[in-house]
Amino acid sequence: MIRAELVNPFLLAAGEVLASEAGVTVSRGPLTLERDVYETDHVTVLVSVIGEVWGMAFYGMSQDTAKGILSRMLGQQVTAFDELAQSGIGELGNVITGKATTKLAEHGYNANISVPTLIIGKGSRISTLDIGRLVIPLQTELGVVRLDLALRDNKAGGAPGSVDLALRVAVPQ
Amino acid sequence: MNVKYVNPFVQAAFEVFKTEANLEARRGALSLHSSACTSDDVTVLISVVGQARGVVLYSMSENTVLRIVSNIMGQPFEEFDSLAQSGVAEIGNVITGRASSLLAEEGIEVRISPPVLILGKGTLVSTLDFQRLVVPMETDMGNIHIHLAVDDTPEGMFPGDLPHVAAAEVNL
Repeated sequence: MIRAELVNPFLLAAGEVLASEAGVTVSRGPLTLERDVYETDHVTVLVSVIGEVWGMAFYGMSQDTAKGILSRMLGQQVTAFDELAQSGIGELGNVITGKATTKLAEHGYNANISVPTLIIGKGSRISTLDIGRLVIPLQTELGVVRLDLALRDNKAGGAPGSVDLALRVAVPQ
Repeated sequence: MNVKYVNPFVQAAFEVFKTEANLEARRGALSLHSSACTSDDVTVLISVVGQARGVVLYSMSENTVLRIVSNIMGQPFEEFDSLAQSGVAEIGNVITGRASSLLAEEGIEVRISPPVLILGKGTLVSTLDFQRLVVPMETDMGNIHIHLAVDDTPEGMFPGDLPHVAAAEVNL
């Protein structure tokens, strides 16, 4: 189970960034914990977190929500989900995750974030394998941004890929 | 994309296929892409942060996965079940981990993310402003395409900090 002190920085960061960049208010929907495959909405930004917190954050939304948020951010109507729009949504995930890791550092967890990757296409299937995902719907007047956190406390360290392959696969953690 | 990142990944893939699956791999012709990648049946995605940063994708057919995982685990896999999914993710993890050790030997320190699996053909995966170098690895069990979207982390920059974060906060 993901601890609240790892989750709250993401909630705060998402609320702050969506408010300051897109002028929307965010309310949190009911949380669920998921272990099975994630079926995506139209647009999903994936940002990895690597350090004393270790895992991934996903930001999923419909194309309409993405275009609505971008229109507010850019101050002009975004009608096509083209490369510029994709870049903008990637940046949104990047900025939220960056801000969340700044807050995590204030709680004593140091982590770096990866460059964002965009997964495009409704109904794409993503697995985070043995890391469960806490699903947090962020409700805004432009639609729901679904935040999935697949994070682990990694303060004890430990490098991945160091254990015998067959053993790691055969013995789920 | 900086070409100095190619060889550590290719060498790591050769080594891991050889030691884990007793499989000889051959490298096909490289190609460079700017557009989004359309996924094959199975794609393992791993991010890299540190003195280099970016994303590595390992893409292959389900049939190739089943043959390689059967070989590694020493038991036949006929279905792409959760154990086979773990197996293929681990292959990506071990190759990327080994590549990071080879990069460290060249003075480039990086850390890697947990693997993420993208299941199903035809999903678009965009590495945004990072170009992808595609390295086909041919084996007797099928082809694995390694997509490298990895570049230098700008000097003096906090590795997780993108240059356009600041720009985004000002302009957007």
